[in-house]
Amino acid sequence: MLKMTGITKTYPTPQGPLKVLDDVDLTLGAGESLALMGESGSGKSTLLHLAAGLDLPDEGSVYLGGQRLSALSETRRAALRREQLGLVFQQFHLVPSLSVQDNLALQARLAGREDDAWTRHLLTRLGLAEFATRYPEQLSGGQQQRLAIGRALAPKPRFLLADEPTGNLDEAAAAQVLELLQALIDESGCALLMVTHSAQVATPMQRHLVLTRGKLMDKAL
Amino acid sequence: MKRLLAIALLFLVILVFGWQLWPEEPTTPTSYAGLGESTDEFRQAQPGTVLRFPEDHGPHPDYRIEWWYLTANLAAKDGRHFGAQWTLFRQAMAPSDPQPGANETPWASRQLWMAHAALSTPEDHRFSERFARGGVGQAGVKTKPFDAWIDNWSLKTVDDKSGFERLVVTAGGEDFGYRLNLDAQGPLVRHGEQGFSQKSADGQGSMYYSQPFFQVSGEVWVDGEPITVTGRAWLDREWSSQLLGPTQSGWDWFSLHLDSGAKLMAFRLRGGGETGKEESYLSGSWITPKGEIMPLKPNELSLEPREYQSVVGREVPTRWRIQVPDHDLDVEVRARHSNQWMNTSFPYWEGMVEVSGSNDGEGYLEMTGYADE
Amino acid sequence: MSAAASSVLRTTLATLLSHYRRHPGQLLMLLLGLWVASALWSGVQAINASARESYDRAEALFSADLDRIERRDGAPLTLEDYLALRRAGLPISPIIEGELSLSSGKSDGESLTLIGIEPLSLPGSAPLAQQDGDADSLRNWLVPPYRVRVAPDTLEQARTLDDLPPLEIASDLPPATLVTDIAVAARLLNMDRGITRLVIAPKYDVELPSAFIRTSTEALASPGQLADSFHLNLTAMGLLALVVGLFIVHAALGLALEQRLGLLRTLRALGVPARTLILALGLELLLMGLIGALLGIVSGVILAQLLLPDVAATLDSLYDTTVSGTLNLPWYYWLGGVAITLGGLFSAGASMLWRASRINVLGLGQAQVWRARLRGQLRLQLLFGGILLAGAVFLWWYLASAGGQQDLALGFTLVALLLLGAALCLPPLLAGLLGLLARYLPRRAALLQWSVADLQLQLPQLSLAMMALLLALSANLGVGSMVGGFRLTFLDWLDQRLLADLYVRPAAEQYDDLEAWLNERSEVATLLPARSTEAELIKDGSNAGSVALFGIAPKPILRNSWPLLDTKDSHEAAWQALTTGSAFINEQLARRQGLEPGDSVQLQGPSGMTTLSVAAIYPDYGNPRGEIVLPVSRLAREFQAPPGTLGVVLAPTKDRQQTLTRLQEALNKRFRLTGENASGASLIDQQALKQVATEVFERTFAITRALNALTLGVAGLALLTTLLAQAGARRAQLAPLWAIGVSRSRLVMLQIGQLVMACLGTALLAIPLGLLLTGTLVAVINVAAFGWRLPLHIFPGQLAMTVALAVVVAVLAALIPAWRLRRVPPRQLLQEFAAA
Repeated sequence: MLKMTGITKTYPTPQGPLKVLDDVDLTLGAGESLALMGESGSGKSTLLHLAAGLDLPDEGSVYLGGQRLSALSETRRAALRREQLGLVFQQFHLVPSLSVQDNLALQARLAGREDDAWTRHLLTRLGLAEFATRYPEQLSGGQQQRLAIGRALAPKPRFLLADEPTGNLDEAAAAQVLELLQALIDESGCALLMVTHSAQVATPMQRHLVLTRGKLMDKAL
Repeated sequence: MKRLLAIALLFLVILVFGWQLWPEEPTTPTSYAGLGESTDEFRQAQPGTVLRFPEDHGPHPDYRIEWWYLTANLAAKDGRHFGAQWTLFRQAMAPSDPQPGANETPWASRQLWMAHAALSTPEDHRFSERFARGGVGQAGVKTKPFDAWIDNWSLKTVDDKSGFERLVVTAGGEDFGYRLNLDAQGPLVRHGEQGFSQKSADGQGSMYYSQPFFQVSGEVWVDGEPITVTGRAWLDREWSSQLLGPTQSGWDWFSLHLDSGAKLMAFRLRGGGETGKEESYLSGSWITPKGEIMPLKPNELSLEPREYQSVVGREVPTRWRIQVPDHDLDVEVRARHSNQWMNTSFPYWEGMVEVSGSNDGEGYLEMTGYADE
Repeated sequence: MSAAASSVLRTTLATLLSHYRRHPGQLLMLLLGLWVASALWSGVQAINASARESYDRAEALFSADLDRIERRDGAPLTLEDYLALRRAGLPISPIIEGELSLSSGKSDGESLTLIGIEPLSLPGSAPLAQQDGDADSLRNWLVPPYRVRVAPDTLEQARTLDDLPPLEIASDLPPATLVTDIAVAARLLNMDRGITRLVIAPKYDVELPSAFIRTSTEALASPGQLADSFHLNLTAMGLLALVVGLFIVHAALGLALEQRLGLLRTLRALGVPARTLILALGLELLLMGLIGALLGIVSGVILAQLLLPDVAATLDSLYDTTVSGTLNLPWYYWLGGVAITLGGLFSAGASMLWRASRINVLGLGQAQVWRARLRGQLRLQLLFGGILLAGAVFLWWYLASAGGQQDLALGFTLVALLLLGAALCLPPLLAGLLGLLARYLPRRAALLQWSVADLQLQLPQLSLAMMALLLALSANLGVGSMVGGFRLTFLDWLDQRLLADLYVRPAAEQYDDLEAWLNERSEVATLLPARSTEAELIKDGSNAGSVALFGIAPKPILRNSWPLLDTKDSHEAAWQALTTGSAFINEQLARRQGLEPGDSVQLQGPSGMTTLSVAAIYPDYGNPRGEIVLPVSRLAREFQAPPGTLGVVLAPTKDRQQTLTRLQEALNKRFRLTGENASGASLIDQQALKQVATEVFERTFAITRALNALTLGVAGLALLTTLLAQAGARRAQLAPLWAIGVSRSRLVMLQIGQLVMACLGTALLAIPLGLLLTGTLVAVINVAAFGWRLPLHIFPGQLAMTVALAVVVAVLAALIPAWRLRRVPPRQLLQEFAAA
């Protein structure tokens, strides 16, 4: 279970401190899917970064698998990240010098649990099998995003955190990627926290939350 | 045969090429300083050789080793005892000179010279060592007049005569020196068979004669301070090509002035007796006050160590009992002090001794081949 | 390390290294920098280590730490002298020494030094007492067929000699040296009763008969000490090369980091701890370092092998020291080479590691902000550079005011401060220059304005290469001017000092006859006799070491020509003073003892204590020792100097050469100066002397020039690799220009123009820096290293050459990237435009 309680985060700006998150609580259970919505600059990405342990809150706690992140060393947090979390970024952040198959297996290798059968399965499911030995720059945007999703799922994480995974794609490609993502989530049984500003993208999710001026609210679709 | 020491030559070798080898010598019995090495090509000392003087005072280049060996027991006016040693060794490195006419320079010579000078004071012992090659004139011995020298050390006649009647000896080191006038009060004496002195049961030996009757007067210098001394001295001349048998390892040698006027020369070659290496070969000469000599056979004398002392890490006998029953001699011989070690390239013990018992007296003792423990 | 942690490290390292698989050019540049840095450095070190090893062997040779005894009348020593001294109780030993020519018949061939020793009298003949200690060794040494000892590196040469006794290997002997018994040496060198030298252990403080003089071993500086300054120069050059190479490494590492920032952040996001990331980067550095060091050391050794014969020849002629022509490298050389390379790499990589450790994971995908910080960074560089330059000024002031004895290490510190300070100031100065340029460019020259602005943007990437270029250019200029100035001064000085047409050194017994005979000859205008000897310098009542005394005849021709640096009154007065009891001293002695004209020196000579007033100071280039000049008659009388040389000045004649030849023949006939049964005298033609001196001089600086040229080459390489490394990124910046209608050939010209502009700016700065460097070299380094100061010469041709060199380097370095740009298909430019 991923649990965030009383999260507050403030950033300094030229106009004075800006409270991006204000006493936010959030829980993501096993196998759940949750869409986090809000306008640009509403703090969605910050919340995601805090959930992933990339950053620490000013107040409040983040628990991952029962461990309080801010009580862990940077090294332990990194270990949790590679073993329990999958991250998907809007900008993909693939490694340009690694082939498609090596990119896909990268996090699984870092986590020390590369599963060849699962990796091959992912490659096929993501429609990348024929490009396995190519390099990311030789793929289309949709293919790159699918590869990024594959990399996040390869170590079989318990939570997948996705930040606008379709933000860089055209509508058709976005729909295809989302469908695939949903299907793979179902297959692997991991929980999904997806940041998006698009209602369409959010629709298939089980729960929907909206972040407005640092406060979190349920949203009925 | 003390002088065996002479070991001489080889000394050089060791000197120059590192004496580390000396202590770690061998598993098989090896003679002191290689003096037991076979020497086929050199001339051998033989019984029946007739000594002729003054020619035989000079060098015998065809024999492998040779020495002029003087020891003096001295006393200052206040009764303090001093001892002086002056030795010149010659060794031939090859049986013959380089090919005549082979364009050789004065530096080419097969003869090596080594000299030791020592002064024993009542408290300590000072010594010095010199080396030279033959050929150039840095060291040598002439007979007319007699002159034996190396660098600025010399033993020579004072009156330009060729014999040993009146000599003057000079030598010195950094912290000592001496100049002694020697006046012979008796004749030369030939040891063994008219000068052939057997050194082991299987017959090899050396040519050996002495002048044991020197009266001495002169000066010694200790740290630059002159001290007037008088006393008695003994000069040995010996040459050979093989002194030790292959199994002999060292010797103890005595030259004693007895108050009766008689002199005793006695030695023990360790490990060279008739029945093999376990035993020692004993020999000696009894010299009457008039200079008559009576050779002593091995069964006519006994030399018995009574007390050992540790000297620079070696156990060395410093008190002896000597018996010569035929001449009613039964005496104890003890070192005036144990610290008379010659730490030269071939180390040995050489120093003044006092004699008490059936006859009092004094003399010199030389001991070689006592291994480092 | 746990299995999990090791799999993280392994995967991280593999991922980091995959970058170089995709960008082999960067890897190449990195290795190139490392290779060049460590090759030049280790080459120089190999030469130094090898020479040092030769010196150590020479110093370990028996005679090196023994005092020498010679006859006061200068006559050769004989066996009789040896015997007389031995019989007087002096513990001396004879040595016979001479040269054995390797190519029989030819006089100019190589030769080996044959040393004959007398082991029985030689104090502590350690080199003999090695290896085989068997009792036969001495016997073998002393009796036929004898033995000859030789170092392994001389064995081959020794084998070519006939008549040698059997050879024995003795690895601690100096090169080109044979050691044998004195009997053998006397025969091979035809010495018979002659002796080259008598030696005595310094510990024996004995009184010598008055016919002999003793020279203490301390007075004879050891070869290692003499050549120290030479090796220090080499080391400084090697260091410069190392620094320039490390600039390349730094540039390559910075580039590799810049391009991998995204990758590093991604890895952090994927769960690689910061510590593991730094460790992996460190391991990557180590791997590169080992490969680079290995390549560098191997090429360094090859380089050293190429240079060593020249170095050996230089040292031989300069300092009379023999250095083995083959490399002998001690184990610590190899270790030291790797350590220096790795140390250099880590100092260059430290900033990369530091930056990598501070990566903000949340910066993922954010635009790089360094451009914004550029201004601050430039200001910081200017500040640091200014501090270093201020330090240099202070040090200069300190050295100038300290006077007298100068410290070579401080001198090199001054050079380092000067160079580094200037290098740091270069980017801000270039930026300022470009800013000025941009402001005053006509508005309409849009393309020109763009290229200036673009160059400003490129500065951060280019600045390291420019700094390397600046260092190389100014070093080139500085060393070039110094060598050129030295050459001028030295040749002038030779002309002034070598007045006579012929120098004759008669044997002692024929000196008076020969002098009288020469005086009679009509073709001889003037005779200039000279003598030399030694005396002890007394300072504040205690012995301050020995000095050379040189006696000259103050005749008009000499007075008019002999150069003086400083006198108490006029030159005329100084010469007058010399004839009435004063002395001249050389610059070396003046500097070391802090003496000025009007001061006085105290000497302990054979006839007691003498106090001399200093009338003048004269230049004495190339002489390592302090020297005092007196009238020759006084030197002979008061210091019992043996007869020396006679300088023969010819009367004006139509055919100088012919007159000279005839005089030489007549001298030879009458006094048998050369050939069979030569009297031991010698005859030197002044022109031959000058030629030898000039050759020595040229050789001395051959190495310096070679290293200098190499350094410049490396700087060009740095520039080229920098440009190549960023060629791709540059194209993306150029693509928009192409898109708005600038032709590709125009773009190529623009690029070349930009680089020429930057290099010209650098060259303009290199000129004052180079001149400062020359000033430091002649006024500080030379004084500390050799004891004399050179006048500062500036060669305009050389300045122009420096600027031209900079342009050539710029064009060459720009050419390859530009050529590639020229060949890029428009389609690719289009893609890059779209990507930008």
